[in-house]
Amino acid sequence: MIAQRLRFKTSSPTQFVDITEQLRQEVRRSGLRMGRIHLQSLHTTVGLAVNENEPLLLRDFESLLERLAPSGAGYEHDDFARRFEIALDEPVNGHAHCRQLLLTGFATLLVENGDLVLGRWQSVFAVELDGPRQRELAIQLDGEFEAEKVGQPLPGAKGSKAAKADQELVELELTRQLLADPDPVAVPMRRLVEAGGKRLRPRLVQLTAHVGPRHDPLRAAALAAAVELLHNATLIHDDYVDESTHRRGRPTVAAAEGPERAIAVGDFYFAKATRLVAEMGNGDVTSTIADALEAICAAQIDDVALRGAYPGDHASYLKVVRGKTAALFAASCASGAQLSEATPEEVEALRRYGDLLGVAFQMADDMVDFSPSSGKPVGLDIRQRVLSLPLIYAAEDKEVGPEVRRLLAGALGDAEVSRVTELVRSSDALKRVGDEARALVEGAVRELEAIELDGLRPTLIGLARSAVDRDS
Amino acid sequence: MTAQALRIDRELERLDGLWEDGLQDTYKSYMDAVGAYEPAERPRLALAAALIESGLRLQGLGGRAVAATPLLMGDLCLARASRLLADHASQSLQVAFARAIETMSANAASGDAGGPVRDFLVLALENGR
Repeated sequence: MIAQRLRFKTSSPTQFVDITEQLRQEVRRSGLRMGRIHLQSLHTTVGLAVNENEPLLLRDFESLLERLAPSGAGYEHDDFARRFEIALDEPVNGHAHCRQLLLTGFATLLVENGDLVLGRWQSVFAVELDGPRQRELAIQLDGEFEAEKVGQPLPGAKGSKAAKADQELVELELTRQLLADPDPVAVPMRRLVEAGGKRLRPRLVQLTAHVGPRHDPLRAAALAAAVELLHNATLIHDDYVDESTHRRGRPTVAAAEGPERAIAVGDFYFAKATRLVAEMGNGDVTSTIADALEAICAAQIDDVALRGAYPGDHASYLKVVRGKTAALFAASCASGAQLSEATPEEVEALRRYGDLLGVAFQMADDMVDFSPSSGKPVGLDIRQRVLSLPLIYAAEDKEVGPEVRRLLAGALGDAEVSRVTELVRSSDALKRVGDEARALVEGAVRELEAIELDGLRPTLIGLARSAVDRDS
Repeated sequence: MTAQALRIDRELERLDGLWEDGLQDTYKSYMDAVGAYEPAERPRLALAAALIESGLRLQGLGGRAVAATPLLMGDLCLARASRLLADHASQSLQVAFARAIETMSANAASGDAGGPVRDFLVLALENGR
């Protein structure tokens, strides 16, 4: 069984909105082969009908409704003086309620061979009786689904065809943007982008862009690509600051082409990403991304400042991680939702989800530094004195703490890094960090409970949990 | 755009000393360049332009690479300017400023000096109206 919502906006007081194609798309997307699709209006002035989509006939229906329940015919419902607790914007719409009584508020359609069973002249209508308004229908699909699509009702479910299509859109957009740029900046950025990365932030943008009523896959991919470019621009400057020689298995821009070029490439893509976002013309999205960029830059300054007191403490760790990592996760979630015109409540819940997920993600990333099976050099964070929660906890440990602190206070050669790694593994630091990251993920999942997400919820929950339970 | 008074001190949070170290003079010089905008908009636009110019100067864009701290301070200047513009400037001006930075950083990456930062930003202010 798959549950979804179908949202649409009407443009006139009475309107027959043909939703047949949207329903067909929902059936195709769900993978339902044989079964039923149930529709239910979530409004008392929207009805459902199955009939012919012929313009003159639709005018006949409107005339019929007007004759049977004329507007302005003195409905008691419209006598506000006799009603209690009416809203300030209560409409005069007794006629619309009466017309809805003549229609139906729910319908079940059959599905065979992956398509709606409809006669040649049959179309499915949502009938607006008191528009124009934003409207919503509840949909449930049940029956036999294609095996690969079971449990993957919306684009974004990992491994689904729709998720792959979404990912391809982002990759195409990244390629397209980089093709337009001058080689001195495009070549190093292309090398970084093509080296891979998890693309979690663009994925969050694309997923949350399904939440509001205005989902546009191309605009979502454009925003997702801009966010990924911004993320990569911050990495280019970070790598110079951290004196890192490799990123994603390839030389960093600073190592390969010199720090001067790294600074210029980072600046170019900071600016380009903000321009691409501004050109989308959504002020809320622009502000969200700009706020995140500011938080990232401020946290990066804190991060460097804290290296004098390495490995730091839990409070300073959280302050830095909230800015350096979580700010863009939160902005990705919020901006995707804003792009689709989600409600402020939905945007804020998703922003909090992204913030908690971002902190948990960074904790999991810290743990990878101590995993011999990650494919990355063990102890790299220690060597570069990068803020790391397992180190903070190990330094606080009664047994290993004094030796960890002593080693970190001195020069860090291979032997020292190896010994610190050993001490961290022998303590309960990694377990504590793992438990804390999982608790944050559960907190993120709880943030989703208050909002309507249709079939998107399992995907967002799965993404959050898999971001923490990983080894690379 | 809002007509709220600009609180310079709030916009300079985390950028200690920068105001006295030249940002104030740069800001004043851009106040002359924003005369074609509404009076309420001018201080924020001048500050955004000044932050960009100061940020790029801190980073040594087009010159020798600077150390981590000035690079990151420069990043914060650019980010704050971007936020000021996002919250208070028209879309066309946001785009014009971003394009100016793109041009200057692409020039720097090519080893081309490309002209003074101020010229690019004044042109952006003209193009973004």
